[in-house]
Amino acid sequence: MSWRLQRVPNVPAGAALAGRLGAIVAALACVAAVLTLAGLAPGRLGAEVIGSAFGSIEGLEDLGLLVTPLILTGIAVALTQRIGLWNIGGEGQFNAGALAATAVGLHVGGDEIWVLPLMALAGAAGGAAWILVPTLARAFAGVSELITTLLLNFVAALLVAWLCTGPWRDPSGRALATTARIPAELPPLGDTLHWGFPAAIAVAVLAAGLLAFTRFGYEVRIAGANPGAALYAGIPVRARIVAVMLLSGAVAGLAGTIELAGTVHRLQGGISNNYGYLGIMVAVLARGSCLGVIAGAVLMAALLNAGIVLQTQGVNTSTVLAITGLILLFTAIGDEVVHYRPVRRTSAAD
Amino acid sequence: MGVPLAFPPGTAADAASGRPPAIPPGTPALVELQGITKAFPGVLANDAVDLTVMPGEIHALLGENGAGKSTLMNILTGIYQPDAGTIILDGYARALPSPQAAIRAGIGMVHQHFKLVPAFTVAENIHLGWSRTPWRASAAALEARTRALAERFNLAVRPDAVVGDLSAGEQQRVEILRVLARDTRLLILDEPTAVLTPAEARELFAALRAFRASGNAVIFISHKLDEVVAIADRISVLRGGRKVATRPAAGADERGLASLMVGHDITLRKARPRAAGTLVSAAPVLELDRVCARDDRGLMALRDVTLALHGGEILGIAGVAGNGQRELSQVVTGMRRVTQGAVRIDGRPVARTDAAAFAAAGIGHIPEDRLRSGLAPDLSVADNAVLRDYARPPVGKGGLFRPWAAARLARTLAAEAAVAVPDFGMPVRNLSGGNQQRLVARREIRIAERVLVAAYPSRGLDVGAIDTLLSYLAELRDRGRAVLLFSEELEEILELADRVAVLFEGRIMGVMPAAAADVETLGLMMGGRGARA
Repeated sequence: MSWRLQRVPNVPAGAALAGRLGAIVAALACVAAVLTLAGLAPGRLGAEVIGSAFGSIEGLEDLGLLVTPLILTGIAVALTQRIGLWNIGGEGQFNAGALAATAVGLHVGGDEIWVLPLMALAGAAGGAAWILVPTLARAFAGVSELITTLLLNFVAALLVAWLCTGPWRDPSGRALATTARIPAELPPLGDTLHWGFPAAIAVAVLAAGLLAFTRFGYEVRIAGANPGAALYAGIPVRARIVAVMLLSGAVAGLAGTIELAGTVHRLQGGISNNYGYLGIMVAVLARGSCLGVIAGAVLMAALLNAGIVLQTQGVNTSTVLAITGLILLFTAIGDEVVHYRPVRRTSAAD
Repeated sequence: MGVPLAFPPGTAADAASGRPPAIPPGTPALVELQGITKAFPGVLANDAVDLTVMPGEIHALLGENGAGKSTLMNILTGIYQPDAGTIILDGYARALPSPQAAIRAGIGMVHQHFKLVPAFTVAENIHLGWSRTPWRASAAALEARTRALAERFNLAVRPDAVVGDLSAGEQQRVEILRVLARDTRLLILDEPTAVLTPAEARELFAALRAFRASGNAVIFISHKLDEVVAIADRISVLRGGRKVATRPAAGADERGLASLMVGHDITLRKARPRAAGTLVSAAPVLELDRVCARDDRGLMALRDVTLALHGGEILGIAGVAGNGQRELSQVVTGMRRVTQGAVRIDGRPVARTDAAAFAAAGIGHIPEDRLRSGLAPDLSVADNAVLRDYARPPVGKGGLFRPWAAARLARTLAAEAAVAVPDFGMPVRNLSGGNQQRLVARREIRIAERVLVAAYPSRGLDVGAIDTLLSYLAELRDRGRAVLLFSEELEEILELADRVAVLFEGRIMGVMPAAAADVETLGLMMGGRGARA
């Protein structure tokens, strides 16, 4: 009689969730071990991290400010994942969206009731415009969207940096390398949090609904799961790829708009704060599920927040990067491990 | 390859006669499997299977899908380890811990789906992963070695040809040569005639008899009862993981073997006469008028194809795989653009290549590679069940998609297909291959208001499932629908179709009433020898 591992094709949802939690705990345990070796007290640091994020209304609001853009950039990636593509350019579309919204915010006067929706439209259009060339190249020439979307990130970042140190520089001269403060602001929701947070959650819910309850969503899911089946069913795969990629860019552009109009209020270099890249991790953690993106964004925000706290305790910023990396690594391992069951090897007698 | 074949170390006389050599008494079995048991989660694939293969024997292995044939062969070729049981080779118990060990022990297998590299030449494929491949593997050296091997085993191959350009029969010869070159004494063939023309199959049988004549053995896996009786010395039948019988082939009757295989009597070659009062429509429902089309590589695949399909008839398309069947099935279902000619549905020319419009016009399509293009394996059973209906009520309304209506439709289809689905939200890949096929078939029959295009509908199904599927087609015909049936089984076409068309190199070689056609004439036309229609 002996035991061995057997792979099973299907994992119940409970076991999958347990695998995820186990992976996060294992990753944190690794971090704790390293911090202990570095002479720090992981227990005290952990309590402080959790307390600062979840222990007070202010902490929760700050967490919400981080969660908001992460939900949107996560949705941007999750949408393209459903049609079998990767939008690595969330960072660039975020910048392009913030840039377009700034153009409206700085140059269009009037009541916020009109200016804010106009900024949102401009931001979404900016994000979509930024992914337009990769989209057409993908749909009509088969060019890998991984490379094209990624490379445009650098172009967008440099464009933003140029604008806010050049033509759009704050004329008052009080702030460096940034535009003037944009008069239109998202209405507050508490002390620091604003209406961008519920808006982001609404976008996630809408995206989930779009995929599950519309013909368009069904066609996207078929085209993503098996392009051969889409061809067989007469689904216009190219048109769906174009629509999904543009939508993805628009959502990432909207993330830039909300960050600008709700949190930062000025266009400046580094406004994207890696949210575009972190969105990829959020979508991977969510396994491409739009509602799962909300949970993934909260986890990622808690990690970013932990980074801020740890820095005040003299821990290197790269430690935080290491933690996120470890969590992704352990998640990938955990997702595979839950497929295995120990089974008893039948003895030769029967 | 009609000449007698010679295999060392047999004598020329043995080989020429093609009869099994006389085995001296006391000779141990080449392979003896004792009590082989192998379990997978939820299924006992092999249950205490005993199998003895003597030197100089062609041993056929019969069984339905899921009877445990593949598992047993995977154990014998070192891919799986048995949970229990013993493998005895030449009288000595042996473990076969890896495929390499099995190859060293002289066991070689030719799989149904060839394991060749299409972009490599024949010589390169023969020498791939072979310890005796010379260190300096220049093309010329490999080709010379391959030529010598081909001569030694008398298997005609062209060493410098690229495998991807070869016909299925030629590729199979390469596979067999590759296996024999590694000093194989037990050759396992999995459904070897599935891809061959009748002439190629005869050549293969001659080669197998010559191989047997020199004291080697063959395990021959097949669904085809007639060829098993023709080629084998003994026949073992597996059913539900157990070996139910081993019989000498001489005197075995097909009907008895079939009932052993399925466990109950089935009617073989059951005639499915047209129901009384059903007529063939006067006007064709689907017409092709001098249609030309290119394949995926841009090569001309259909040339001047003219066909008319009437309601209430079954038109069979015969031909060796790769002669334009795939492209033809795609043209008539709106998946492939025609470069020339016209496609007409009910007399109206089709303006656009649009598979969804063809489906909406009542043309169902059981695709050739249904598991790859008929389904999205990772999506749920419900999502897959509505691939044809998602745009119309009750599943689709306006721009909406209603998952609950999809689940309801899926439940109906599963009931019609007699497929037990525990959870309609689970990925469709969790269903067995046979059940996936049945689901696709029912889905397409449901929408086939005018025409059902059935490409190789019985491929990969067991005898019972084929029987059910063919009666579905007959039933459609009786309801006045047209059926375009692609099949590699001539008997199947002759049994079911009203007319038969033969495709060869993208041309229709001829269309004739099935009643007037015979296997030999069709076989000649499939080989390109026939009057053009």
